[in-house]
Amino acid sequence: MTWDPTVLSRVRHLHLRARVLTDALLVGEHRSRRVGSAVEFADYLEYRGGMDLRHLDWRVMARSDKLVVKRFETETELACTVVVDLSADMSTGQSGTGGYPDLDRSKAGYALTMAATLLFFLHRHGEPIGLEIVGGGGMTYASLPPRSGKSHLQLLFLQLASVQPAGRAELSPALARIGQRVRRRSLCVVITDGMEEPSEWLPSMKALTRRKTDLRFVHLYDREEWTLNFKQPGLFFSPEGGEALPIDPGGARELFGEVVDEYLAEVRAGVVAVGGKHILAATDQDLATTLRSVIFGKTSKEAAWR
Amino acid sequence: MALTALLPWALGLVALAVLPILAHLSKQVPKSKREFGAMLLAKRLTKRLRRRRRMKDWLLLLLRLLVVALLALTAAGLQFSYQGGVPTYAGSGRVVVVLDQSLSMSLTDTGSSLLSRARAEAIAIIAEMPSGTKVGLVVYGTEARRITPELTEDLESVIARIASVEPLGGASNLRDALHESRELLAGEPGAVLLFSDEAGPDHITGAESELALLVAGGGVVIPNPIAADPPRNVAVLDAEYGEGIEGGQVTITVANYGTEPTETACEVTLPDGAAVPIFIDVPAGGEAIERVTVPREALGGVGRVDCEDPDLPFDNAGYFHLPRVGASRVLVVDGDPGDTPTRSEVYFLERALAPWGGARTGVRPDVVTPAGLTTLDPDIHRVVFLANVADPRPFAAELMTFVRNGGNLVITGGTNITADRYEAALGPILPAQIRRPRSLAAADEPGVPLELPDLSHELFAPFARSGRGLFTRVRSRRVLTLEPYVDDDDVTTLLNWEGGLPALVERQVGAGRVVLWTGSVDLSWGDFPLQTAFMPMMQRLVAYLGGESGGAAARFDGRVGESLVIPLPDIVLEPDIIGPDGALVRARIDGSTLVFTPESAGAYQMKLADAPPLAWIAVNVPPNESDVRVYKSVRASEEELEPELFTRRIDLTPSFLGLAIFMLLAQALLAVRGTST
Repeated sequence: MTWDPTVLSRVRHLHLRARVLTDALLVGEHRSRRVGSAVEFADYLEYRGGMDLRHLDWRVMARSDKLVVKRFETETELACTVVVDLSADMSTGQSGTGGYPDLDRSKAGYALTMAATLLFFLHRHGEPIGLEIVGGGGMTYASLPPRSGKSHLQLLFLQLASVQPAGRAELSPALARIGQRVRRRSLCVVITDGMEEPSEWLPSMKALTRRKTDLRFVHLYDREEWTLNFKQPGLFFSPEGGEALPIDPGGARELFGEVVDEYLAEVRAGVVAVGGKHILAATDQDLATTLRSVIFGKTSKEAAWR
Repeated sequence: MALTALLPWALGLVALAVLPILAHLSKQVPKSKREFGAMLLAKRLTKRLRRRRRMKDWLLLLLRLLVVALLALTAAGLQFSYQGGVPTYAGSGRVVVVLDQSLSMSLTDTGSSLLSRARAEAIAIIAEMPSGTKVGLVVYGTEARRITPELTEDLESVIARIASVEPLGGASNLRDALHESRELLAGEPGAVLLFSDEAGPDHITGAESELALLVAGGGVVIPNPIAADPPRNVAVLDAEYGEGIEGGQVTITVANYGTEPTETACEVTLPDGAAVPIFIDVPAGGEAIERVTVPREALGGVGRVDCEDPDLPFDNAGYFHLPRVGASRVLVVDGDPGDTPTRSEVYFLERALAPWGGARTGVRPDVVTPAGLTTLDPDIHRVVFLANVADPRPFAAELMTFVRNGGNLVITGGTNITADRYEAALGPILPAQIRRPRSLAAADEPGVPLELPDLSHELFAPFARSGRGLFTRVRSRRVLTLEPYVDDDDVTTLLNWEGGLPALVERQVGAGRVVLWTGSVDLSWGDFPLQTAFMPMMQRLVAYLGGESGGAAARFDGRVGESLVIPLPDIVLEPDIIGPDGALVRARIDGSTLVFTPESAGAYQMKLADAPPLAWIAVNVPPNESDVRVYKSVRASEEELEPELFTRRIDLTPSFLGLAIFMLLAQALLAVRGTST
């Protein structure tokens, strides 16, 4: 097997960026959402027959004559699957070299960097990490289930470094397919620009949360695109193909803003409806901030895209 | 209204409207391409824009079509013309100011008369005229006058003359005013600025012929109507005495030209000063007739009707002739009073003159003896009968003065008559020298009859129908004879006895007459008192001589501002015209007539000094002048004559051009904002 030096360089580059960003992130203990036997007190529960008498709180019984059992949080590993949309639409923005997306200003580059950083961060915390790439090309594996280990991380980085935006994401079947593979009670981070008809793929999001998955939907966008920040009219076309449309940005900017608002509200409502968290991220936005939002599940404000 | 084009062929340029249609149909597609990662949103945008564009594109097409159409219309030079404009004064050139000073211009409206408003407006216009403008001034009432003999550039003097124009009481003779204006313009084009109320039924229509000549000569009349709003005036249109109960009736016609009915307080003043107040309800825009009964006895002269009306005082009075009503005073001097009434000389005469006491005949004889002649009053008595008076010498001077001043003397024959005494006393006024009486027949014979009278004479005119033959039954056995004389301008033989002896001779003396009846008025010389002709003849004689109920003075009617021609009595004296205010009115004698122009309404007299009036002249204002309503305007008449003067044209080219530019900008703006897809 021969490694493309560009890919290798991008792996190193990605690795470096992930480490730097990870250091900048707030570090702390990750706590499992599962409740079980451990040392960290969680709460009390009224005793019922059949419960383990070892967990009775004798002090409470002595003071109040009530039988309650103590419950403790359990530290467990949290599997995380990062779904990255690398359809051709994600390639818009500053193009990189050799067909690989620029890691700074393109949606794909932003998505890759975010995915790498997130994976690295979770790996540092010993969590099993997996990667699902929808669309795109050039990678060896499009689907890598969550695992631990450094070699797995390297494999993931290699996929991220070698992938090139291409084709259509076909979000609806892709999300449905991934939904069947994600582990129960795991963390699932979907990074996409959502540029397919929401009414088609939003129902498929249900498959991701069906197993009580903690869904973080990172909605990527290019601010110039959404604000139509272009001077000259032109024939606008999608890298994924299809009909080119003549658009005069100056005349249509205001109306386009309304369209974006409606679209965003639709996606946001769809994500929230399935129990996910909608995190809006512009490509010119500080990645660390975005990552904090993803890690802490902090949703963005509706009108923040402008 | 009409729409005309200077270049109709240019309307064909509307065909260029096909260009924007082609442009509309052709689709402009940008050449540069741009990779776009949010095509989902772009598609949604496009879908929404298409909905908007459907409307916007049609609006664009419409605007562009309008631009082309408007440009074509601009090139065609479209003009919009309509009737209804008013000629306006351009501000320079040759101008004649025509000022109406007729009676109706005295109407008070908003505190000032129409004439004062007209003066102010005319002065204001002249004051604004540029130097070099030639201006003339014509004023008109019943007649038109050129105030400036020719057009002048001295505007100040014209203004000064306008300021001094005063209202007259006459009619509105616009026709003459336009004629004078035409004379001033001397056949060259010019403007006539007319300041008038244009009121009256024939004010404007009467001037249309002159208006036509003026317009045909290149002139234009620019009306400046000055009228009260609403028109209002109460006027005495007519007052006329006529037959009726008591002493007759004065019929008064009052008109109300206002828009509201009114009750007007009026007063009828008779010549003797008696006043009769009345109230007349006059409907809006209509007339009312009221009758006032005259007493059984009233002095003759000119009566007056006054009605209250603050708007136009000039026509609030109407003047009418009132003949002497009731018994007219005749002084009968009985030269041979008998011991019984029937033996009295004047028994038959008194009863012939006043068969019912004078109430119906209008003659009341005062019978006196010769000594009673001292009661002669020239202001009361019109006729004096000397019936068989023996010696008139004690009263001769008084009688001659009475006759010369308009009185009338009738001398009848009788046994007492002495030729010498009469010749000595009344010789200067007798128709002929009296000789002694002459017997024509024996005492037992019927006597000599009268010849048939000449019916063409005024005295016998009433007998034309019947009664002429009655005179031939009158016979006399004895008559006064006269020295030979010939009929001339002063002496006229009215009746002859058969055989040629004069029976009734008249002589004009001064303003009065002397009539000599050569027979007697009793039965001593003949049977005249017993004949049917006696009573009507005596009645008629008194009436003829002026002792009848109508008085002796002639009656004439006149209008303010119009020349009055009064035929002079056949005398050598020159009477004067005395105005209503007692002042002498300027008059001139033209042949056998006296001509004067009254300047105000009222009772005028033609009289000799210290004598009763020879004629009464009732002068009233022209009734049409009281009608302050506008029947036809100068504008309407002028429009009929020259519609072109009233055609207004609006050049639509600037409007179309401006609109086209506006549409062009609008479509450009719309196109710029709309080319998003």
